[in-house]
Amino acid sequence: MKRKSPSQIKPLLTIAYYSLRAQLRNKATVFFGFAFPIMFIGVFGLFGSSGVSISVGISAEDQTGPVYQVISSIESVKIVTKTDNELREDLTSGQIDGILLLDSANNGQVQAVISQANQEKSSAVISIISGVVDKLNLEITGIKDPPIKFDVQEISGRDFKFIDFFLPGIIGFALLSTAVTNTAFGLVFLKKTLVLKRIFATPTKGATILLGQSLARLVIVLAQTLIILGMGIFVFDFNLVNGFTTVLNVFILSVIGLLAFLGFGLFVAGLSNDENTIAPVAQLMILPQFLVAGTFFPIESLPSWAQPVVNLLPLAFFNNAIRKITIDGFGFEHLLPQLLGLAIWAAIAYLAAAKTFKWE
Amino acid sequence: MPSQPIILVQNLTKKYQETTAVDNISFEVKSGEIFGLLGPNGAGKTTTLEIIETLRESTSGKITVDGIDIFEHPWDVKSRIGVQLQSAGFYPDLNLIELLKMFAGLYQINIKNPAEILKKFSLEDKRKSFWNKLSGGQKQRFSLATTLIHNPKIIFLDEPTTGLDPQARANLWDEISKMHSEGRTIVLTTHYMEEAEKLCDRVAIMDKGKIIKTGTPHQLIDDLLDSGFKKPQEVKQADLEDVFLSLTGRNLRER
Repeated sequence: MKRKSPSQIKPLLTIAYYSLRAQLRNKATVFFGFAFPIMFIGVFGLFGSSGVSISVGISAEDQTGPVYQVISSIESVKIVTKTDNELREDLTSGQIDGILLLDSANNGQVQAVISQANQEKSSAVISIISGVVDKLNLEITGIKDPPIKFDVQEISGRDFKFIDFFLPGIIGFALLSTAVTNTAFGLVFLKKTLVLKRIFATPTKGATILLGQSLARLVIVLAQTLIILGMGIFVFDFNLVNGFTTVLNVFILSVIGLLAFLGFGLFVAGLSNDENTIAPVAQLMILPQFLVAGTFFPIESLPSWAQPVVNLLPLAFFNNAIRKITIDGFGFEHLLPQLLGLAIWAAIAYLAAAKTFKWE
Repeated sequence: MPSQPIILVQNLTKKYQETTAVDNISFEVKSGEIFGLLGPNGAGKTTTLEIIETLRESTSGKITVDGIDIFEHPWDVKSRIGVQLQSAGFYPDLNLIELLKMFAGLYQINIKNPAEILKKFSLEDKRKSFWNKLSGGQKQRFSLATTLIHNPKIIFLDEPTTGLDPQARANLWDEISKMHSEGRTIVLTTHYMEEAEKLCDRVAIMDKGKIIKTGTPHQLIDDLLDSGFKKPQEVKQADLEDVFLSLTGRNLRER
């Protein structure tokens, strides 16, 4: 007589539901999974909200006349009011980008002092001021129709902010740390406290336990992605290139990313039965990727010899993929190299996990 | 007295690399009895129990539980037996009600009123408590609640009273007697001889992986007396445990 093993659907849902519930009550999960990424977004979201801004020092007695009025009305110019000597010190130390000397007694004399140290900002100061001077000269001399006209045409482009670069990287980081640290810690804890042993005395298979745990992580990861995206959109005006399709694609990619990264969590969980050895191994896996693989700055800004290596990191594949979705507005058909990279890493991770993982 | 064997262990051996934890033992447990595996620490009691519970593999031997070959059909065995492990843990972030519901799900049964189950084990005030916050006796009682949740007719208890105070131990003995009176077969391990004498219908004494003697507690005592053994001191009608319990009462502490 051949007996079938009992259905695993109810145990699977039971494990998933109750481990999710336990996770959401766990302070470490809530802090590292939710509070941490939100803090990152909150802090870095405040950076670089507008484009280039220039600070120009003008002493108090010079703050009159038509030149001053036009310049002070320019949005991207910040006026700093101090005495001449203080302004010179600020310019030398790089705290302001230029000093403007306006001889308000006669309008004919405008002098700019710039620093050699920061050529980019200095040339911005020069071009803004000379633009203002030219415009006023034309007005004063009454030329309404100058022979050479300079016209700037603006095309409607995407307003690209730092948050648009930064937010996808935070989704990748939150995903990686949940998949690796949280999974490894969770499993080792259950092993060590003999919770797993007690569950094994019930008609529940090992695969059911792992799958149930993964389902719980899936819900957590989707909630993380939702919260990070929501905060980006509603608080920091994160740009959704294709609206809802972008959101949907980010969710699908998060599921793919979790599947790939979970293998690393299982691998780390198998290396040791001691939480104290888990922590450094998990951090060794996450932190370097967090620093170089495009979370805070583009991989292109690394030295050129490092880029090919860094681009092969698991998190780099994910970050490149998610930015192609959120910045370039691409669909999955354009992400094949990244998806292939993630698949290869996943295969390596699950094979390694199969070698290391032990139930006891 | 029921006499049908419900657990049959034949020539069971368990070897770890160098050591032999269980050395070719055979015994049977009759339906409806309380069977005790006695022995000092390291005798192989827990290993034997965990093999029957399908938690460990054996090196050789044959075991049937309720007519089922446990190595062929471990899944059938798991849902028929109730297990209390010597040391087991429960999710620390779930309260007792949630844990009971979780075990109901794992045993694939529905429980209508988990609070009722807690009440049976005098844990009704602890429904929102977490496992880690329970006292030793409460932990054992809760563990018993999960053991019985799917109403199994065969129960395995591994050192159920180790580390408990006398009140909690007396209470647990009552629970075990109650389970027995409900017609369940109980296999327990212990190294407390008074516990075995009080609870067990039959015992097997294990040492160094072997069963050295099997029988009812009375039989074993009579055999010893027949061999000319005499206790060197006068036997009183009460012992210190009786004194302790009569002074401090039988009421459970830490409810």
